[in-house]
Amino acid sequence: MNQMENAKKRYESIPIPDELSERVMQEIRRADMRRKTERKPVINRRGWRRIARGVSAAAASLAVVFMVMLNTNTVFAETVSTIPVIGTVARVLTFRSYEKETTDMKIAVDIPSIEMVNEDFSGLEKSVNEEIHALCEEYAREAEERAMEYRQAFLDTGGTEEQWAAHNIEIKVWYEVKSQTDQYLSLAVMGAENWTSAYSETRYYNFDLKEGKIITLKDVLGENYAQIADESIRNQMQERTAEGAMFWPEEFKGVTEDTSFYMNESGNPVVFFEKYEIAPGSEGTPEFEIVSGEN
Amino acid sequence: MKRDLYDKLTAYIIENQNKFYRLAFSYMHNQEDALDVVQNAVCRALEHSGELRNADAMKTWFYRILVNESLLFLRKNKRFVLDEDGADREIVYEEPGFEIQDSLYEQISRLDEDVQSVIKLHYYEEMTLREISQVMEMNLNTVKAKMYRGLKALKVVMQEVDV
Repeated sequence: MNQMENAKKRYESIPIPDELSERVMQEIRRADMRRKTERKPVINRRGWRRIARGVSAAAASLAVVFMVMLNTNTVFAETVSTIPVIGTVARVLTFRSYEKETTDMKIAVDIPSIEMVNEDFSGLEKSVNEEIHALCEEYAREAEERAMEYRQAFLDTGGTEEQWAAHNIEIKVWYEVKSQTDQYLSLAVMGAENWTSAYSETRYYNFDLKEGKIITLKDVLGENYAQIADESIRNQMQERTAEGAMFWPEEFKGVTEDTSFYMNESGNPVVFFEKYEIAPGSEGTPEFEIVSGEN
Repeated sequence: MKRDLYDKLTAYIIENQNKFYRLAFSYMHNQEDALDVVQNAVCRALEHSGELRNADAMKTWFYRILVNESLLFLRKNKRFVLDEDGADREIVYEEPGFEIQDSLYEQISRLDEDVQSVIKLHYYEEMTLREISQVMEMNLNTVKAKMYRGLKALKVVMQEVDV
């Protein structure tokens, strides 16, 4: 049947997007992670899965988010020398910085530490720093494992060593001070791999420097924090949708005490969502500043 | 499941991903949804890999997941489209000019879900009717009946076009 042959030709000429292999590999790696860490709960979101992030309980209310870094050729060492000073009460400095380059990949790690001038806060300082250090080490180690698994899968399916070398795999762990005011310090600790965004991670640490504690949305917005934030986020989603953005409003289930946010320079919390969490990937990682009348 | 079989499954998926994508695309007709469908199917397959008993059944087992995932997504989307902007979709379907020039490819994708799946799996993916009966979880005679029904429908349309 000639027409059937034409139909088949048309079918076979459906172009394959470059993204396909990356998306398939993401699932395979995710499944591998799940198999390794069965005890970690898995959240299903529109068929997308992510490993629930669970590092120690030192500051259980801390929010976590994973972020994207596509840059392949950053000179990581540049960021090491800067030591931002936060007023006179606290500062962030690089606790440990190292770079490692093998034939398979490049790894650059900058681990921050918080230093509190007020000695009353040394307990907090210690527990937070321990958590940050463990988080960074764990991310670097797991990212390296993932890259090696990817390498194996690549070679097993007919890829050559030369082709693999051309991937220029880079792993980066670093931090950013999101804001520093007299009252608040917001620190973002990030991990990223240049070949996949599936595991990119940003964890925010928000400190109240006067109280010497980690703050939650509730601390900033008050008892009605959920209502205030939800309303603001839904309104902003609508506004942005009117301007052409795309969201999945039904995926936004409302903020909780664990919702990821940071404090901006104006002293307002900015709620942060993972890629694909409430919007298609094209929206990246949506952020919503919550301006509350009272605060 | 044995590590061995799991590795075979991941290798099979990586090797055949382009075929999966084409089949998904033939249902979804757009790249973003087709990618989502393939990714969901891979996710589901790996998650339920324990249910796969032997490597011989891998192909039909995976295709079953893929076809189900495509149809599921299609139904979800339809609902969504009708709610949100059903008007746009209707214009596309009611365009009369297309009807006559439609190739067999388009006609196939307008057949009933089961019928078009049988036709696609047989003619595009070159599966035997027995394999299709495993993919679709139907007995062989039902598959045959659907196949004939599909071909008949296509011929009818073709004749009309020819006249």
